[in-house]
Amino acid sequence: MKLAAALLAALAFAALPLLTSSNYIIGIGISALIFTVAAAALNLVYGFTGLLSFAQLGFWGIGGYVTALTVVTFGGNFWWGLVWAALINALVALAIGYPTLRTNRHAFVIVTLTFALLVTLIARDWVDLTRGPLGIPNLPRPSAFGYHFGTTPQFYWVTWAFSVAMLAFLYALCSSRIGRTLIAIKQNEPLVRAQGISPMPYKLSAFAISAAVTGAAGGVYAFHLGIIDPLFLDFYYMQTFLIIVIIGGAGSFWGVVAAGVALSALPEALRFSADFRMIIYGVILVVAMFVMPSGVAGWLRERELNRMREQLR
Amino acid sequence: MTVDAVYLLQLTLNGIALGLIYALIAVGLSLIFGVMEIINFAHGELLMLGAYAMTFALPVMGLLYWPSLAVAIITIMLVGLVIYEVLLTRLKPDEFERAILITLGLSIIIIHVMQYLFTATPRMVDTQYGFEGIEIGSIRLTFTRIIGAGAALAAFGGLYLVLRYTQFGRAMRAIAQNREAALMVGIRPRVVARNAVVLAAGLCGLAGAAISPIQLVTPYMGQFLIFKAFALVIIGGLGNIPGAIVAALGLGLIESWIGGFFEIVWQEGAVFVIMIAVLFLRPDGLFKRGGMRVG
Repeated sequence: MKLAAALLAALAFAALPLLTSSNYIIGIGISALIFTVAAAALNLVYGFTGLLSFAQLGFWGIGGYVTALTVVTFGGNFWWGLVWAALINALVALAIGYPTLRTNRHAFVIVTLTFALLVTLIARDWVDLTRGPLGIPNLPRPSAFGYHFGTTPQFYWVTWAFSVAMLAFLYALCSSRIGRTLIAIKQNEPLVRAQGISPMPYKLSAFAISAAVTGAAGGVYAFHLGIIDPLFLDFYYMQTFLIIVIIGGAGSFWGVVAAGVALSALPEALRFSADFRMIIYGVILVVAMFVMPSGVAGWLRERELNRMREQLR
Repeated sequence: MTVDAVYLLQLTLNGIALGLIYALIAVGLSLIFGVMEIINFAHGELLMLGAYAMTFALPVMGLLYWPSLAVAIITIMLVGLVIYEVLLTRLKPDEFERAILITLGLSIIIIHVMQYLFTATPRMVDTQYGFEGIEIGSIRLTFTRIIGAGAALAAFGGLYLVLRYTQFGRAMRAIAQNREAALMVGIRPRVVARNAVVLAAGLCGLAGAAISPIQLVTPYMGQFLIFKAFALVIIGGLGNIPGAIVAALGLGLIESWIGGFFEIVWQEGAVFVIMIAVLFLRPDGLFKRGGMRVG
């Protein structure tokens, strides 16, 4: 039922360039798809495994830069750039995840945040590699099998295929035995240990997979923008991912996907100035944490549970 | 490369000044973590507000340094009190992630409201001391830097005395060491938590006010300092106040020395490399935490 609805929604999204010729609207569609993928990846570590990771912003930036540098500096193509972005991010995630996950969740949050800000500083200061604040402009649109995805609607198909593939992969992962183990780790780690499951490999792989997916998403987004500079690592992106996950409901796969699509379109539709939009995001974050800490999905589940309890009485 | 002694001494003094600022922020974070087990993401913004408060207080006070400093500190303590009473008091124990997200939202709101009201243009302030200073050999120190460092040292001394010898401080240490036992002997955790937040906010206000005559004041100044303070709290051991101070001074010196001889990217990266190394070797921080120790 849910899968059929998701399939229909995916097909409806695929039809977007046929319905409108406005590059502006298609651009919002691209952002919505990419942000949803990145938020679903954050949901894997935070919602399912219970690890609040701010490193997603760093992975997003590394992914963007690796893809851009593969094409511009090392003469590779866009597709290999995405593969490298995913691989390098997974390795980086293992390298910072291993020492950090051995400690407590407090340390994990802080280390991931510091990592994200470190990547920003490196993007700005390692001028030889990243070209510093000037950034790398004129990123060429990709082509495959002799077909060039030159215009925005054509690039939209690339984004669509990428997002659907990534979301399908994450869904398969989250609804498998592995996904259930991750939820168990979040809910009661000592119990998981008592069942003879070592949580460390699960946590590490969830972190690494999430990093790889986020990095690839960042790579696609950089080529949508056509330029990458240190602003690509603006904290705004991290806040957007977080708000999508929290409003959608951490730990609920479809809740986060629905919130991703809705929340990416909403600020555009309302046309706030950048500063004002950030203030509203901040207020949404604070209010949501008080009013419905488990998001819309959690609120709906709660309501259904209450209804069932009523019936049993 | 020959190392010039004067250059090295200059770098060392700059490093100590930088380290003292880091320490003021990190100590506040440690204090709040020790008592409430939360990390305050809006801590850097308290520093920024302190700097703005100093910027606005100085012209009103006729550029007099000390009254403006007092005004800035009291303002930020009030801001801390409001933050505690409105937001943090609603948190239940063991809601670490929720506390982080709430204070993160708060930090976004504060930064962008300040930017909306006062624009992102950097501000400079002038004090009664202007750019006067003293010269020792070929090293020049401005009065604003000396007073800033002195005020930070005085604040640490005061904090030590408060935590060690007053009922107010003992209650804080008691909560940090054993929450249940502290409850049993009649210590009210909410009052203690409020005191800790207000005290930490005051330290942050002092740090912000002290650096406003030294560097440019912008809505984003807190962000760059806070992320180092977070790392310092990890390096020193979460909730360990002397650990945070030692780590802060060490980092200030290391950054200043690296910055004097290598490219800037190494200076910024140093803190992260040190933090990862410390986590590998001593997962609980360099100075393992045992309750809130002050001496």
